[in-house]
Amino acid sequence: MDWTKQIIRYAVVMVLQVLLFDQLQLLGVCHPYIYILCLMMMPITLPHISDMLIGATAGLIMDIFCNSLGVHTSACILLMYVRPYILSALINETDRLNEQLSLHSLGMEAMTKYVVILVLLHHLTVFMLAAWSWQHVGFVVLETLVSSLLTILVILGYNILKYR
Amino acid sequence: MQNLLKILLRYSNFLVFVLLEVAAFLLIVYNHAAPRSSVLSTANRMVAWQYETVSEITGYFHLRQQNDQLAMENASLRNQLAQAEGVEIIQYQSAKVVQMTTDRLHNYLTINCGTDDGIQRGQGVRNENGVVGVVRTVGTHYSVVMPIINTMMNLSCRFLKNDYIGTLQWDGKDSRFALLTDVAAHMVVNTGDTIVTSGLSPIFPEGIPVGIVESSVLHEGDSYYTIHIRLSTNFKRLKYVEVIHNADQIQIEELLDGLD
Repeated sequence: MDWTKQIIRYAVVMVLQVLLFDQLQLLGVCHPYIYILCLMMMPITLPHISDMLIGATAGLIMDIFCNSLGVHTSACILLMYVRPYILSALINETDRLNEQLSLHSLGMEAMTKYVVILVLLHHLTVFMLAAWSWQHVGFVVLETLVSSLLTILVILGYNILKYR
Repeated sequence: MQNLLKILLRYSNFLVFVLLEVAAFLLIVYNHAAPRSSVLSTANRMVAWQYETVSEITGYFHLRQQNDQLAMENASLRNQLAQAEGVEIIQYQSAKVVQMTTDRLHNYLTINCGTDDGIQRGQGVRNENGVVGVVRTVGTHYSVVMPIINTMMNLSCRFLKNDYIGTLQWDGKDSRFALLTDVAAHMVVNTGDTIVTSGLSPIFPEGIPVGIVESSVLHEGDSYYTIHIRLSTNFKRLKYVEVIHNADQIQIEELLDGLD
């Protein structure tokens, strides 16, 4: 795995996240978390446990920017935990992946499913934990749907542009 | 024993997952109870510095508007000075808003004052128009403030006209409005009634503007009103705030600590 490339991509995505996507004020319910792009598109070469630790770190960094200690951390750990299971459920021969996750190796259909499932899972976890009560459940669901839509578009767009 | 080890090894991924999640949940609980870590929040110097730099750059686009605002504030301060009655218990420390969100359930703002400027956890924050919030986490140079537009916030208020007490809460919908609860049905509530801080807690001195009644509904069979308050503070335009140093607050808190 090319660490330099991964870290540079993470830095660029975090700048976009904090300076652009966190400042969006669309309808009051659109809070996309595009930084998970880096976690989701990481090659699947590392041991599962290291994946989860990387997820925890990325989540903690995001939490510092959001004043929501622990919320993104748990969502990212969950994301990295389920990632290999979702992948093996979507594709029969995992060898075909050749360790790289891309539109080329996954195919459009599997890629879309992979992104949609993981983004919805992550965003729902973040917004549920951030609300920390059942009182705002309607708002949380709406927030999840609207924000996920934008995140999914960004991540799919990134993949399409990269492997056009 | 060997079997146990085998099982542990087999499920090691799941066990690590559970351990990490438990740690993350402890962080959430800890952060809700008493967020004292200034490093793990936007009071973190590097994080706040980054936000401050960006707001300095974008701030140039609002200069004219801010000039007008400052001129108005100067005028009102001079008026107040003219009729000052020597209240020395309360002092104000002005601070700049470095970062703020207004459209989440749990909104926060970061200001460029910290322990080095004498800021302490639990101090009240206001601006020239009204109440802003309470200092929640303090770093050396920056602090995080929980504004009244945060669903975790409760603020004790009273009607200016008859001193009737109510509790202000935010419903998470619109940063311009909040709800006033605990107002019993026998009260007469009119649209346009002024709501100010009650002074029941030492955080805010009494009489700071909170908002005015926008609408009040008394459903049949209810013993309490549902009151919408239009807040005095415009959170979307918040650039400067004042932290309240209340000499009484320290004394009162010492007394309360003594009771435990």
